[in-house]
Amino acid sequence: MDSQIKKIHQQLVSKQISCTALIQEKLALLKENTHNTVNSLLESSALELAVKVDEKLANNEEIGLLEGIPFGIKDVYMVQGTYTTASSDLLKKYKSAYTATAIQKLLDAGAIPLVKENCDSFGHGSSSENTIFGAVKNAINPELVAGGSSGGSAVNVAKDYTVFSIGGDTGGSIRQPAGYNKIYGLKPTYGRISRYGLMAYTSSTDCVGPLAKSIEDIRIVLNVLSGKDKKDQTTFTSTNISEEEVLNNDNVKTVGYFKNFVESDVISAEIKTEFLNTIEKIKAKGIEVKELDFFKPDTLVSTYYTLAMAETASNLSRLDGTNYGNRIEGKNLKETYSITRSENFSEESKRRIVGGNQVLSQGFSDEIYLKGLALRDQISENFNKDFEEVDIILSPVTPNTPPKIGESLKDPLAMYLSDAYTVGFSLGQLPTLTIPQGTATGLQITAAKNNEQSILQFANFLKETI
Amino acid sequence: MTVDVLSSIKGAKPSEAVNKLFEAIKNAQSTNNNSSNNVNNNFVCLNDLREDVVNESSAIEKKIIIENFPKEKNGYLVVSKVIED
Repeated sequence: MDSQIKKIHQQLVSKQISCTALIQEKLALLKENTHNTVNSLLESSALELAVKVDEKLANNEEIGLLEGIPFGIKDVYMVQGTYTTASSDLLKKYKSAYTATAIQKLLDAGAIPLVKENCDSFGHGSSSENTIFGAVKNAINPELVAGGSSGGSAVNVAKDYTVFSIGGDTGGSIRQPAGYNKIYGLKPTYGRISRYGLMAYTSSTDCVGPLAKSIEDIRIVLNVLSGKDKKDQTTFTSTNISEEEVLNNDNVKTVGYFKNFVESDVISAEIKTEFLNTIEKIKAKGIEVKELDFFKPDTLVSTYYTLAMAETASNLSRLDGTNYGNRIEGKNLKETYSITRSENFSEESKRRIVGGNQVLSQGFSDEIYLKGLALRDQISENFNKDFEEVDIILSPVTPNTPPKIGESLKDPLAMYLSDAYTVGFSLGQLPTLTIPQGTATGLQITAAKNNEQSILQFANFLKETI
Repeated sequence: MTVDVLSSIKGAKPSEAVNKLFEAIKNAQSTNNNSSNNVNNNFVCLNDLREDVVNESSAIEKKIIIENFPKEKNGYLVVSKVIED
């Protein structure tokens, strides 16, 4: 599919449609939708912004490429004055006092936020069922999960309710729902986009990223979002990626894939066959393909969840109902904390907080948490060596197709293991794009840090090749 | 200290599913059990530190912070009664 952003921009500039009509149409679609993608609609502010765009157009003033383009926001981003619930009971009436840097950049570019989108509570989940707003239903088959945690964002894009959405990816939360709903979803290099104003889950792997229906729209939004921010000192300066660079497909000479991912017991026969067929098509185009060694999927999942739980236990310790949130009074301060947290956190969030405190406590930290940190170092070193040999690593997004709604919550371990192919790239802080091709749940394209350009180029090549 | 106290969650207990993950990491082969913490290199450069200044919140920000108070009296936050152990 071609750029939706450019198409709508052209329609606005040529006065084929008014911005107000466009926003009204998208709001109506979101209101009517039965996929549970909406936590709250930003109706009045969106319509006010649309009127301003229409006034500029009426005065024949120039508008920017993103001006008037409607987008969605996963409900873990601060947008001043809007409810920011993280799909949780604890924050169901919480209003953001300020706006996240990434969202502010889009607002400054004139894009119009329409909706705060349903997701797994605090990002804790891979199915968007761990939410007080009802399980998000898959865009293609509503009996199946949307994936998670950015499930509402992926479905809104897939169903054309938003032109693009901003998700958050800690261990696969953009890439996996993008794969389940057959769209593009990018987890950029850690630090390329500011996390200021994103509710922290695992601070060392949390990434802001776009979901969209075309490579070009991913590129446009990525350029706007990227950049150093003094409010997030892990950010770095990056250069914009031009459309011409992305259209140049000659740079990728060598592609690698992890042999143990396709030889694993967990991968379905269908996804394995489709993935290997894709590899053959790439070879047929004269690109060298190398098999690479990597860590076992269960080691990757365990390492990721150990560190993720430790960090989320620390990050969510601030949610005690004192300054904000749904406080439930007990007979003293400590009891108020514990009742508030027991009653307001979901079972999955409690499981992760407790797991995090387990691994951080004396007697456990050496053999579990510190070993997890050491393994992460080794995983990262492994990637460094791989990218001396190959330009791109290609992998399936998930070992299986999306489960039915209700199945994931019954078996948390199976849900954790379903993240086997996404978490490694999070631990390595590498840029990875899901494309809606190659297997039933798409493909992941990964490059070395800060090399998003190669990923987009290769995605463009695959669009024409497979 | 037990995990329910550490987590401030009444009656919290370790979960079987999570314990299985921890078993996997205990059994994982590692060439070195000491993290050199060199994986991320997200260090802040000393000559590029944020200015050490206090920024006054805007009026709207202050208003929303007060709106978010779980309990409020005359514009002040009401906290739970503290009982020292």
